[in-house]
Amino acid sequence: MIILRYALKTAFNSIWREKWINFLTILSVSIGLSILCSFIIVSRNTDSVVQRWAKSFGMVVYLDKKTDTGREDSLRKYFQRDADIVEVKYISRDQALDEVKHTLGANSLILEGIDENPLPASLELTLKSDLLDPGLAGKKAAQIKQMQGVEEVQYGEKWLSSLYAISKAMKMGTLFFGCAVFAAITFITFSTIKIFFYRRKDEIETLKLLGATKIFIRLPFLMEGIFIGLIGGIISVALISAASSFASLKIVEFMPSMKSNLISLPLSAYIEIPLAGAFLSVAGSFIAVGKIRY
Amino acid sequence: MILFDEVTKTYDREVVFKDISFSMGRGEFAFLTGPSGAGKTTLLKLIYGAERPDSGQIVVSDWIVSKMKQNAIPSLRQNVGVVFQDFKLLDNKTVFDNIALALTIHKKHPHEIRERVNAVLREINLIHKANISPPYLSGGEQQRVVVARAMVARPIVLLADEPTGNLDDDNSEVVMKLFREINARGTTVLIATHNEGLFRKTGNRVFYINNKYIEKEMVA
Repeated sequence: MIILRYALKTAFNSIWREKWINFLTILSVSIGLSILCSFIIVSRNTDSVVQRWAKSFGMVVYLDKKTDTGREDSLRKYFQRDADIVEVKYISRDQALDEVKHTLGANSLILEGIDENPLPASLELTLKSDLLDPGLAGKKAAQIKQMQGVEEVQYGEKWLSSLYAISKAMKMGTLFFGCAVFAAITFITFSTIKIFFYRRKDEIETLKLLGATKIFIRLPFLMEGIFIGLIGGIISVALISAASSFASLKIVEFMPSMKSNLISLPLSAYIEIPLAGAFLSVAGSFIAVGKIRY
Repeated sequence: MILFDEVTKTYDREVVFKDISFSMGRGEFAFLTGPSGAGKTTLLKLIYGAERPDSGQIVVSDWIVSKMKQNAIPSLRQNVGVVFQDFKLLDNKTVFDNIALALTIHKKHPHEIRERVNAVLREINLIHKANISPPYLSGGEQQRVVVARAMVARPIVLLADEPTGNLDDDNSEVVMKLFREINARGTTVLIATHNEGLFRKTGNRVFYINNKYIEKEMVA
């Protein structure tokens, strides 16, 4: 407790004495963490779009016009038993024609010259979100296409591939930037604490000669690191919170439908980001102080 | 209390001591003398673990210093007070804080630190300068602060390296009086000096170090 008290006092004295270099370090840490928070927000929103789309992700299985009702029924039952399929909806040829007429509205007159219904019956399959992977979806589609009575399978292949690529890129980007930001914060704090360590070299030498233990010498520097990371983290979440609220307001102004879909930082991030900042800074400080030899 | 048994120390293949042996008892007051460069400071450094011998054994109280691991050195130094030739006072701290630091390292309670530092400041007649930084003190006053810092933790052994080297006769007398008082409380005191006037007619043992050996051991 006495050592902790001494360490806190020494750390705060140093922070005050070296206020400008500490201010710049805190600013750098908060900028780094803010960039990371921005990536987390963008990634979460992209993921949310993908997940929303995944809920309605489906395949349309067009049946051969020659397929009899019995086969249609057995196919429907087969898909209903399939663990990858959440829902199966049968659209008869007549229902399909009605839907087209309904969609065309006043323009449905163009269909009047056609004697026979050209549309096939179909099965609309809602798939599990696990199948959002274009590879898995393609494999499933190819498998269904092989089945007797199936003429065509459609599932928005390009759209799925693009969305999947964006989602994956965002996740990779967040991971990459996360690692880069973490390394940068550790390095920034390392450099600052190293400077302080050299400036106080004589003092450390005296402490060693008076019998100070390694923890007694290290603790003030680690405390300083914790303070830098913690304050940097708090500033970054405050900045990001304000910026994302402002951005949400502006987006809703132009696209009111987006109101309930925008996602900000998770609540846990308000604790996790400052703690991550403190942890990384303390790691940087620990490396900066290095091995103490008597 | 302090035992050197056939201790050899070299620096870059140059022998400083060769197989030197001597011992000091608990509560003894002794001097270490010899010409400049004879190795007085090195010998003191070997006692508080700032240097390692090449061979031989060094024992200080219960610590076998020659075999000591890095992690054990702080406990030795907390019990061996040192008055450094170059003071090693911290300019960014007050006189009070410089002395208090030794007790903070000993994890003493702030209330006890305050009482003991004030007592020692009164003893060295510098209580009125408690809140002043060392650069604003005279050489004699700084030396007294260093002695106060070494004695406040009530060490088992007190080492002093040329403690009067920068002082006039009056200040030297004050500092030597402080050492006598510390010794009277049971602390073993070893003073390295080349000033013969300090130990003449004191009746204390004097180790004369020269040419890699303790050439003479006499009673002043």
